Amino acid sequence: MPALCILSCGCAGIPDAVRDHDAESAIELVDTPFYPQERYQCGPAALTTALTASGAPVTLADIERKVFLPGKAGSLQVELLAATRTSGRLPYVIDGTLSAIVAELEAMRPVIVLQNLGVAAFPRWHYAVVVGVDPERDEIVLRSGNERRRLTKASTFLRTWRRSDYWAIVVLRPDEMPARVDAARYFEAIAALEQAGRLDEALIAWRAALNAWPRHPVPTFGLANVHFAFGRYADAERLYRSLLDQQGPSSAVQNNLAIALAKQARVAEATRMIDRALESDPDPALVPELRDTRTMIEALRSVSAEGPRP
Amino acid sequence: MLSNYARDFLFRLISVALVCMGFAQVSAAGMIGTEYMIEGEARDASLARLEVLLARDDVARQLAAFGVEQSMILDRLQGMSHAELLALEGHVDEQIAGGDALAVIGTVFLVLLILELVGVTDVFKSL
Repeated sequence: MPALCILSCGCAGIPDAVRDHDAESAIELVDTPFYPQERYQCGPAALTTALTASGAPVTLADIERKVFLPGKAGSLQVELLAATRTSGRLPYVIDGTLSAIVAELEAMRPVIVLQNLGVAAFPRWHYAVVVGVDPERDEIVLRSGNERRRLTKASTFLRTWRRSDYWAIVVLRPDEMPARVDAARYFEAIAALEQAGRLDEALIAWRAALNAWPRHPVPTFGLANVHFAFGRYADAERLYRSLLDQQGPSSAVQNNLAIALAKQARVAEATRMIDRALESDPDPALVPELRDTRTMIEALRSVSAEGPRP
Repeated sequence: MLSNYARDFLFRLISVALVCMGFAQVSAAGMIGTEYMIEGEARDASLARLEVLLARDDVARQLAAFGVEQSMILDRLQGMSHAELLALEGHVDEQIAGGDALAVIGTVFLVLLILELVGVTDVFKSL
């Protein structure tokens, strides 16, 4: 039981007051909308709150249909993430600290948290939205349940939040970056958007990532793959090539470049590229993929005007 | 390692299944996804694709079993990443579901029920 594990391995020595974190003055996003929840509907209510705050045109009823799981009388964390993506937003799991929450509030983003309002043996899992902290009074301000402005003692909040292993997410517009970003986690979040088929949003997000990490290969690869998915093979080719120039040979990049070339009816170049990938000691896990690509290009070659290989 | 014949067969099966199930977003044949460069994981890419497909099918069935209406299932699967689908496969019932329901586990429930019946506790009043 993951839940039990989380409960039993709860960390020791957690600071339990807002003033231990770096919120210097009170902050509260008073304009954050509020959706009072119906029974068992804290997941849809919390997510609709955060999505609406980020400008996504959603309704509570839409989100309810996307995340509520009747047989569990609640909503799964992963379905909150999935529904964020299908609403055109980028979900990002922030670090489980109050200071990470404060950093997001300072960037004007409310934070969805998962709490266990019960105890270990009596879990009562609840989603709420943190919209403010008050170091002076040592309180957290939440949109929670039927309360537009629920005030919770920081120590109580931290205890209930700890039981979810400090799970907290923000809802980003595709052009926004988290206040405190972990590159790998952020890239994974964008790749997930890509896998969810939100290519327009993934394109914007990869561009933002590329701006922030111009030398990192992942955003360029992601951007190239999205261009490819849109059928913009010349753009994809340009990016794959720049990646090879910057980073040296990579069988994954060479494979995709070969296909981008084949799609532009440059079969001879495509063949050379995939052969180079196969000859330069590729990742063994990719070898079957590379061979398939080769077979595919070979088939194109035999039907193309260039005729069979010499 | 699968033989070439088996691989071929699987690919055909997958493409047919994908078309039938109406998945809008399937990476183009042979393309290596962005996640490969993030994870840097050494997994056979085509087998990984098959695993994701099977996971998707399993999660779809679980969502239906937990009462999601048929017309919403594909929509809900659509937003999930490959890693999420693999993690959910066979494990939906163990997931935390935030919803304010008091979820009481078997034995604990029995103990509480007995305590309640003999008048020691009062926890079920509010339920």
